[in-house]
Amino acid sequence: MSEYEKVLLKNVGKPNSRQLATYVEGGGYSGAKRALEQTPDDVIDVVKRANLRGRGGAGFPAGVKWSFLPKDREVTYLCVNADESEPPTFSNRVLMEEDPHQLLEGILIAGYATQATVAYLYMRAEFTEQYHIMQVALDEAYNAGYFGKNIQGSGYNLECYIHRGAGAYVCGEETGLIESLEGKRGWPRIKPPFPAIQGAFGKPTVVNNVETLANLPHIINRGADWFLGIGPEGSSGPKLFCISGAVKKPGCYEGAMDFSVRELIESDRFGGGMRNGLKVKAVMPGGISMGILTADELDMKMDFSDPAKYGLLGLGTASAIVIDDRTDIRKVLRNVARFFAHESCGQCTQCREGTSWMYKMTNRVERGLGRLQDIELLGEIPAKMGMMPGLSICGLSDGAAFAIRTIVEKFRSELEDYVRSENDDAVRIALEIAN
Amino acid sequence: MAWKAIDRVNAPTEESPSLSEPLKEKIRGFFDRYPTKRAVLIPALHMIQDDHGYVGWKAMEEVAELLEITPSDVFDTVSFYSHFWTHPKGEKVVMACRSISCDLLGADRVLDECKKVLGIGDHETTPDGKYSLMTEECLAACDHGPCLMINEKMHKCVDPANVRKILEDDANDKLDIPRSNLYDGANRTSA
Amino acid sequence: MAKIILNNQEVETREGIPVLQAALEAGLNVPHYCYHPGLSVVASCRLCLMEMKMPHPKTGELGWAPKLMPSCQTPVRDGMEVRFDSDKVHENQERCMEFFLLNHPLDCPVCDQAGECHLQDYSYHFGKSESRMVDQKHVTPKKDVGPRTLLYSDRCVMCSRCVRFCDEVAGTGELCITNRGSKAEIDAFPGKPLDNPMQGNVVDICPVGCLLDKDFLFQQRVWFLKSADSICTGCSTGCSIRIDQNEDHVHRLKPRFNPRVNQWWMCDEGRFGFKYIHDKNRLTRLRLRRGESFESFRWESLAETVRYRFENIAKKQSDKKIAVVLSPFLACEEAWLLVKTIREIAPNATLILGPVPTVEQDERFPVGATNGDTKFIIRKEKCPNRNGIELIIKHFGGNTETFDAFVEQASAGEYAAAWISGGYPTEWVSKDFAKAAGKIPFKVVHDLFGSALTDEATLVVPACSFAERDGTFVNATGVVQPFARAIKPPQGCKRDGQFFYELAELEGLYQSPTVLGMMAAEIDEFKEVYVPPQLPEHQH
Repeated sequence: MSEYEKVLLKNVGKPNSRQLATYVEGGGYSGAKRALEQTPDDVIDVVKRANLRGRGGAGFPAGVKWSFLPKDREVTYLCVNADESEPPTFSNRVLMEEDPHQLLEGILIAGYATQATVAYLYMRAEFTEQYHIMQVALDEAYNAGYFGKNIQGSGYNLECYIHRGAGAYVCGEETGLIESLEGKRGWPRIKPPFPAIQGAFGKPTVVNNVETLANLPHIINRGADWFLGIGPEGSSGPKLFCISGAVKKPGCYEGAMDFSVRELIESDRFGGGMRNGLKVKAVMPGGISMGILTADELDMKMDFSDPAKYGLLGLGTASAIVIDDRTDIRKVLRNVARFFAHESCGQCTQCREGTSWMYKMTNRVERGLGRLQDIELLGEIPAKMGMMPGLSICGLSDGAAFAIRTIVEKFRSELEDYVRSENDDAVRIALEIAN
Repeated sequence: MAWKAIDRVNAPTEESPSLSEPLKEKIRGFFDRYPTKRAVLIPALHMIQDDHGYVGWKAMEEVAELLEITPSDVFDTVSFYSHFWTHPKGEKVVMACRSISCDLLGADRVLDECKKVLGIGDHETTPDGKYSLMTEECLAACDHGPCLMINEKMHKCVDPANVRKILEDDANDKLDIPRSNLYDGANRTSA
Repeated sequence: MAKIILNNQEVETREGIPVLQAALEAGLNVPHYCYHPGLSVVASCRLCLMEMKMPHPKTGELGWAPKLMPSCQTPVRDGMEVRFDSDKVHENQERCMEFFLLNHPLDCPVCDQAGECHLQDYSYHFGKSESRMVDQKHVTPKKDVGPRTLLYSDRCVMCSRCVRFCDEVAGTGELCITNRGSKAEIDAFPGKPLDNPMQGNVVDICPVGCLLDKDFLFQQRVWFLKSADSICTGCSTGCSIRIDQNEDHVHRLKPRFNPRVNQWWMCDEGRFGFKYIHDKNRLTRLRLRRGESFESFRWESLAETVRYRFENIAKKQSDKKIAVVLSPFLACEEAWLLVKTIREIAPNATLILGPVPTVEQDERFPVGATNGDTKFIIRKEKCPNRNGIELIIKHFGGNTETFDAFVEQASAGEYAAAWISGGYPTEWVSKDFAKAAGKIPFKVVHDLFGSALTDEATLVVPACSFAERDGTFVNATGVVQPFARAIKPPQGCKRDGQFFYELAELEGLYQSPTVLGMMAAEIDEFKEVYVPPQLPEHQH
């Protein structure tokens, strides 16, 4: 667990951290100014060398994403993904709430690098306070000449608008976000064409996550080598980690990606240990879609490569929910199934039908009306829904599958014990009434 | 017809509010932000909901005309997003988070208490028109679960025992921060 | 041209078309719902997934990719290798079918689609016999979405074909999807129902029993229906259609794929415009005037009588003219036989194209389309064969007149005799025309319905509707298309082609291809007849 000078959260807790003056005083917007003095390709090059992997969940290198844009484009849109909806993730919220100008500076740098003409900051509807904070900061930044025409005398023009969502998890998927931006239902698009070629309004588009962009001022200021020097190879740079649940200090923390889930829970730098002497029963370390770990798997490193070794989908949003030993696993299972059933967009058959079927079963299982076949099916459906990649248009079904499948697989005996202890007649009667 | 079918052939009989001219102007004010008029739909729906309290049939039809799309396009979009109400809601909407962190910290007890205090269920409105209730997927405040949001204001670490007190507080939806009035356009001095 | 390896066999196909289309054309039964060649690709039903060989990202070695690919969304590339016959593909199909049926009601016994339902067919071929879901099904409501169409939401598989049809082909966009996830439904905005001139197609492309035609609802079980390939007579577009009938009663018309004319579509005007076929007021008796009244006449004597009377008039009243009015509803064969016969008897007979019912302008779809992006045209000429009749008139040449000039001349008493063919589904005899016809002493009126004209006729010959006839029409763009008969003519009627055949003193039964052959020997345009290709067996 290495230490380095914090950058992403350095302004958190400062008085007036939301104000431009405070931000500039701390060296803010110097990265953007430096970027504007370089060519866009130079900026892309630094970001590529730093190997800044997307912080939104998929971990795709941002610089590489930018370089997919066609050379001869006239219009480019930058969409900033602030649709943070993955339970239990709140790092974007903290970034926007505490240090809005850091994000705005990141938007300006990414906008310049991609030669974007308009940046849309897509914020989920639930971000109300954060919306006002961002809009006030944006107004300030406009007035100081960081947005609009001829930014800081560079000749570069960038408009930035905040676009508020209206309550749909799937709009965090980049093409779902684009559809939603266009005023449609947020049904993810089939790919190809990829957004870099044909994105928002049919034009080349880049979609980047808030935290990804927040890293840019620091990369420009401190260089790629500084970024590569933090954390292990392939998972370099500062990262935000969220922790919630049965720990003493739930919150959002910055660190290198070089520690384990156990350290995230126990370290005083992070979770500070379990609350009230509770024991860890399970952890969903990357947002619920990545899957679950048992108490025996806490050595998993919070980096981009280790989660796969534990049967998880990935690092995701690096946001852990710590589940204590008094928690009924059926409750976790049902909650997760309900989330995906509620948020499935309804486009692809497997996801639309599979998530709602699984929710019906988990609901019954939690109420003590489960059957062994239900546990069987709850293992089987997601295994076939998400393990076989390519079955659906976007990753939501993979997330649903990993979440539910890993819970069922790793806590199978507990689930089966519950089901076995039930009164068969009650189950039978309940089912008859249901139909 | 001998069986029940939802009527789409005839226009709805229930009354619903029209878009006022100032509201239309506010919507038009967003046209230059996007390359298509349709993209103004979601901001427009927010404005309508802020103004009318919900998005009714007439508003859908009128916003469709304003944005040069079909009313069915609007219906499609409105119904997809959980934050748009198609029936009148109360002055304040209580949004109870039910996602994993809040759930494990007792969100269901908070929700039950809200139902009990307000005497209403999900997507219902109190008879005095003051409160409506809905559940929410993750409010992104998992470090402070269980959470409740009342209009724009987040209430963190809510103890079921405090729900009544929160709901009885008149200022429970007031945000005490500088604000850029939603969709009044940017308060800029330069462009 | 492209060669691909499909299920281990080399198949020749076209570069760039969807692999699914290539597979269907190769005869494979690849299940699919959302894919329709006339609509945009959404790849959402996930039924047509296939395995594809791709280079390994690290080694570059060609092998089966772990990812299943939607075959509707993957274009054919020369040399590619794909397969639909692997366990992985079958497993996905089986899984999908289970999902589709989870909330689907088992109401096939009362469902109109039963028997032509792709949910039934695919379940049988690719699915399981029972559902493993024991919980309650979602129940979604029926919706009266339009004056002609009902929507049974609970049977929907969310393929979104209907929504895309309204957006992309009709251009009217009445249908939409509402809600999300498993609660998603097809809907229309209240008061803005599905009511465009092409809306009937949504029922055709609905792969299940969700969208149903009120006109056909509960009328027939589809397995009782017998079909004939015909051409719509509603306008000069000449859409390829299928006439579905049982016991000589036509129950519905369906469009047939025709890449040169109507693609997959037809309009409602044509689709529902057949009802006159079974009108009780149709003429069904051959009648001869005796003084003020008519008496029945025998078909056996018709040819002889007509020939004799026309011959006589031509000989004895050579100062007067003989008219042959040819309806644009006649088949080319019928017109050709008629003109040939009359011109043999009266070589100077004047050929006249009957009135061409015309509305103000063509209707183009999608609504607002111009030439380049037009997908369908409902033409202003409300008859199927003006082009064909004009070809025949031009071929025979000699005396010809426009209909207006003919009416004028007839009023002036210039005609001694006339054969007037009608066959229009709606009233077509103007007052002026009826009055003018009154000045023609001998006239045979061949028509579907009684009118001022038949009241004045010497001989009334009941005509048959298009469903009872066969022959060839030439559409607005000059495509020569054959149509087949679907039902027997009503009692008392005789198939038009047959009595024209007898009139021409040809022996045996009228067979339109035989007459077409005779015509083609004389008229080049009839040498090439266009019969659209059959859709692949498993395409829908």
